[in-house]
Amino acid sequence: MSRVVAPARLAALTKLRCSIFNTSYNPSSVRTGAKYLKARLRGPSMVKYYPPKTFTIQDINRMFPEMNLVDEAEETRLEDLRALKVRGKGPPKKAKTAADSRRAARKK
Amino acid sequence: MGGRLNARVARDIAARNGVNHNEVLRRAYLFVARNQTLSPSVRYQAQLQLNNFGRYTRPGTVKNRCTETGRGRGILSEFGLCRFQFRLKALNNELPGVKKASW
Repeated sequence: MSRVVAPARLAALTKLRCSIFNTSYNPSSVRTGAKYLKARLRGPSMVKYYPPKTFTIQDINRMFPEMNLVDEAEETRLEDLRALKVRGKGPPKKAKTAADSRRAARKK
Repeated sequence: MGGRLNARVARDIAARNGVNHNEVLRRAYLFVARNQTLSPSVRYQAQLQLNNFGRYTRPGTVKNRCTETGRGRGILSEFGLCRFQFRLKALNNELPGVKKASW
C-alpha cells in the first residue's frame, strides 16, 4: 500500500533540494527570466567559427615590399604572358579613334 | 579567414562580432522583459530597448557557412564544410576519423 504524502511535505522537500543544488525555488512556475541569465554565452564560440586569416605571399609583399620576396606563381604567369606576346597572341591594341573601333564595323 | 572571403561571409563575420559584442547587454534586457515578477511598464521599456538593437546583434542572423568556399547550403555543421568540400577533404584524409563507407 502506498501512502499519500502531504503536499506541504513535498513542497518542503523541493525547497530543500533547491537550496542544496543552488537552484531557485519557484513553486508557482512564474516566468522569472532566469533561463536568459543561466544560459551560456554563445558569442565567443560564434566568433571562432571561421579559421583565422592565412597569409599568402601576395599579402606579405603588399605589407613589406622591401623584403622583395619572389612569388613563383606570379613570375610563371608573367613569363607565360611574355611568351604569348612574342608569338603575337597578346591583347589587341586599343582603338585611338572611333573609326578604328571594331564596334563601328559591326552590323547594325 | 582561411577560405574564400565573399560578401556573404563578410556579412556573417560582422554578424558574429555584433552578437558577441552585444550579447551580455541583450541578455540583461531579455531577463527584464521576460520576467513576470517585474512591473509591466519596466518590462515594456526593456522590450523597446531590445527592439532598438541592430539587425546583426541577434544570434538568429548568424548562419554557418562553409569555411572553405562560403557556400550557405548543404553544410555539415560538425565540420563547418559544404558537402562537396567535405567529400574532397574526407577523400584526401584531412578529416580525422572520416572514411568512405564500403561494405
